[in-house]
Amino acid sequence: MIFFEFAKRNLARHKFRSVLAVIGIVIGVMAITALGILGNSVRLAASEQLYMIGNEVVVFPYGEEAVSEDNFKLIEKTADVAIPINSMVDKVVLNGESELVMIYGMRSEDVSKLLEKEDGQFLKHGSLNCLVGSRLADNYELRVGERATIKSQKPRIVGILKERGMGFDINPDNAIIVSDKMFSSLYNSSGYNLVVVKVGKIEEVEEVRKDIEDRLNKKEKVVMVMELKQIVEGIKEFFNILSMFLIGIGSISLVVAGVSILNVMMMSTVERTKEIGVMRAIGTSKSGILRMFLFESLILGTIGGVIGAIFGFGVGFLVDVLILKEASYLFAPSSIFYVFVGIAFGIGTSVLSGLYPAWRASRLKPIEALRYE
Amino acid sequence: MKVVELVEVTKVYELPRGSIKALDNVTAGIEAGEFISIMGPSGSGKTTFLNIIGCLDVPTSGEVLIGNEKVNGLSDDQLTKLRRDKIGFVFQQFNLIPTLTALENIEYPMILKGVNGHEERSKEFLRSVGLDEQLGENKPNELSGGEQQRVAIARALANDPDIILADEPTGNLDSKTSKDIMQLLQATNERGKTIIVVTHDPLVAGYTSRTFRLVDGRVDRVGV
Ligand SMILES: Nc1ncnc2c1ncn2[C@@H]1O[C@H](COP(=O)(O)OP(=O)(O)OP(=O)(O)O)[C@@H](O)[C@H]1O
Ligand SMILES: [Mg+2]
Repeated sequence: MIFFEFAKRNLARHKFRSVLAVIGIVIGVMAITALGILGNSVRLAASEQLYMIGNEVVVFPYGEEAVSEDNFKLIEKTADVAIPINSMVDKVVLNGESELVMIYGMRSEDVSKLLEKEDGQFLKHGSLNCLVGSRLADNYELRVGERATIKSQKPRIVGILKERGMGFDINPDNAIIVSDKMFSSLYNSSGYNLVVVKVGKIEEVEEVRKDIEDRLNKKEKVVMVMELKQIVEGIKEFFNILSMFLIGIGSISLVVAGVSILNVMMMSTVERTKEIGVMRAIGTSKSGILRMFLFESLILGTIGGVIGAIFGFGVGFLVDVLILKEASYLFAPSSIFYVFVGIAFGIGTSVLSGLYPAWRASRLKPIEALRYE
Repeated sequence: MKVVELVEVTKVYELPRGSIKALDNVTAGIEAGEFISIMGPSGSGKTTFLNIIGCLDVPTSGEVLIGNEKVNGLSDDQLTKLRRDKIGFVFQQFNLIPTLTALENIEYPMILKGVNGHEERSKEFLRSVGLDEQLGENKPNELSGGEQQRVAIARALANDPDIILADEPTGNLDSKTSKDIMQLLQATNERGKTIIVVTHDPLVAGYTSRTFRLVDGRVDRVGV
């Protein structure tokens, strides 16, 4: 393709200027790619950490200390599984070290409905033993069979839970789980701090939530009912907006790059006016001139886009490894996607900026262009 | 057979200060195979005359026929094709394309037209204008003025046009080189090409068979 060849040679003729134009695109594409990957990695990290069971409804007391036993009975009627939970932060001695730890009290049989174990066993009915969360176990090098000290009690650790991440119901990773019997022997409590309701079908979540609100908040609001599905969607939405915002910032630098390409191309159309006149005179069509200049901006955009995307990927890698301490998000398809978004934006900006100069050059009248000195 | 025919051609340039009649009701015919020179004082309309024949410019009024084809009303693309296939241009400043080598400059019109074997043909053209093969790889800025003008003539001949138009082809050359170039054009004319040369130089006009003298946009006198 002769006009592609022309484009290449014309760019090579002004190497320094072409390199500057490419650098502009490189920076813009790098920003878009890196920020896109960053936003996406943060989103992936967050969604991994969020314990995302969409079919949970969580009931918290509202304006009162706890969800009363009577109200719990009402909740139980709305769904197959309702898990009442108590919680308390207390000083616990683990492996000789004293630490403030979250203690959850649950009915023994409920534990397996909500949590998974890594090691050991779950609690037996009415057990006076305990389970520990995975992080707690890691941090204090706890093993099954050891004992924790809570107040005057020394429950034996019978199981270690699987890591679950942060949840909207409970955060078991840094907690100790004891049976309801054990809990009430440690603390006097009436009612529950929260109730987790599991709904059979995800489509019925909304219905169950309404049902609970209707039954309990009849006279005045006594409970707050949260639906995890909604929250998770909300958070995903937030991170999508964050990604878009970061890409928006990257785009600004591309706009600057686009203006510099426009500038470079305008300069070359003016400088090459006479040459364009000659080309037109000896039989080059308008569209040939147009293509020649468009190829120039395409080449600038492609080189800048590819280099920028590689750099952007590198920056994304550094950020992922240094800040999120996890490189696997980088190779997720949704991250790789931003590499292509970056390249596409780079090429798009460049070609768009070249459009006007190319159009102007193609419209030069041959005789006037020939007369130009 | 007439290759060029102008019928009552007038060209008016509109300028802010008023309009200029660069060509004033010119009627002229040029036969196939003629070697024509156009002379006249500066500003008399010589370049305008040539540009109109070369389909680079359109007349304000009057008719232009190139090889019996009426040029008036043709689209830009049609005019471009006409220039590519029927007309060869030689300029005072040589006007080779600086990014292309000598050989590529000769090849370029053939590539535009889609002629087969353009690489081989360009080498033949280079030889036929009396240039060494190894000069073919040189860029225009690595050639002397005379060499550049030879390449330009080869380029003008590349698509085997009917007419060669040359606007002061020796204007930037010394007298010895001018003579070489005129001899080359003469040889080209002897091989059947119609050639029209604009010049101020009576020696150049001496090579031609007929001279048009332009004064104030009018053909004042046609001499032999
Ligand atoms: N594009 C243009 N716009 C306005 N005026 C023009 C244009 N081209 C030529 N003219 C005017 O038309 C007249 C004829 O110009 P032309 O270039 O044909 O003269 P010329 O005979 O070639 O002169 P020279 O010997 O100096 O090259 C001049 O007065 C010139 O100023
Ligand atoms: Mg002139």
